[in-house]
Amino acid sequence: MIFAFLIQCAVSFVSVVAFAVLFHAPRQEWAWCGLTGMAGWAAYWLLVQMEQGVVTASLVAAVVLALLSRILAVVRRCPMTVFIMGGIFPLVPGAGIYYTVYYFIMGEEGQCLAKGVETLKIAAAIAIGIVLVLALPGALFQPLGCRSRKTR
Amino acid sequence: MAQQEQVARLAADAAQLLLESGGEIYRVQQTIEHIGRAYGAPDIHAYVVTNAIFVSLEKNEGGSVNEMRYVRTRSVHLSRVMAVNALSRRIAGGAVSLEQAQKELEDVRSLPASAVWLQVFACGVGTACFAYLFGGTAWDAFAAFWVGLVLQPFVLFLGKNGAGQFISNTLCAVLVAMASVLMMQMMRLVGVTCSLDKIIIGGIIPLVPGIALTNAIRDVANSDYVSGTIRAAEALLIAVSIALGVGFVLKLCALIPGVVL
Repeated sequence: MIFAFLIQCAVSFVSVVAFAVLFHAPRQEWAWCGLTGMAGWAAYWLLVQMEQGVVTASLVAAVVLALLSRILAVVRRCPMTVFIMGGIFPLVPGAGIYYTVYYFIMGEEGQCLAKGVETLKIAAAIAIGIVLVLALPGALFQPLGCRSRKTR
Repeated sequence: MAQQEQVARLAADAAQLLLESGGEIYRVQQTIEHIGRAYGAPDIHAYVVTNAIFVSLEKNEGGSVNEMRYVRTRSVHLSRVMAVNALSRRIAGGAVSLEQAQKELEDVRSLPASAVWLQVFACGVGTACFAYLFGGTAWDAFAAFWVGLVLQPFVLFLGKNGAGQFISNTLCAVLVAMASVLMMQMMRLVGVTCSLDKIIIGGIIPLVPGIALTNAIRDVANSDYVSGTIRAAEALLIAVSIALGVGFVLKLCALIPGVVL
């Protein structure tokens, strides 16, 4: 279990760094992008393992991802966009889109509808998770910035 | 006064660069206002939507300077977002002269993209990782790696030739699905069974509307409902175009005898 978890972390880290490269993120932020994405995926994976369902897992993962992005934005003094854009890709329901089409083509309407609704739910869960974190006042994160500036 | 015209132009240029590179509406609007205020033009007004920027600056002697930008193409470039943001902060701090700001903005515009070989490799690694994360085996990841290597040059080619987003996403999805079917058949020839669904899922992740979705959420969260709606529609349209491309190939393969999905 722990071994599997570590592999999941490592692979998600690499995948998000790959996306940071694709979006031309500055080199010194690559590792931080990977870390943010990894944290989101780790939360998602753990919750799915605990059989909490993919929608709940996506919601929690989105909160973790957005929170870490906001913290890093202050600490690294860099727009939050840089961290959140790569990190969101493991959560976006790519598999959901695929299975919806697959069942659609195969003529299994019931399964298709179920997957389609699930895909929409996941997208909504991600949206809600991120909005929750964005709603937090900026003042909460300010002390982090001051501390990092002093240590520099 | 010529200076105020330059200020309006600088603000609009910075805003355009930011919007093109994937900055959210609120940030773009803030940048315009910061630049205006820093160069002694507090009466600067900005309205920004997903693909347009309007800047109006009231002159001291009456009348106004107007700048408008239409943002046709967008390609995410996070280094530029970061650099424009840093520049706008320094401008707001009052440390940069107008001429220097113009020059530095040009530098930001010419910030290099990731090298092409690196992008292609990153795309391959990304698709391989995602094929694994979504439950594939190491062999599925291996197959997806090659799909990713084929995909990125095609994405770059379409981008260079200015294909519309809907069409280019559909074509990319067709390519991913076809390459995946091909990889699966080739792996079968050497005696390895792959699951097609994991390879395709890994392959479509670079196409999935992650950016459109993020920006839609952020714009709506900042009460920029017009832009948020445009982005949400874009996200939905991208998802549909991917579905269309993959579905087309799946249906085609189901018709060919001897191909097992």
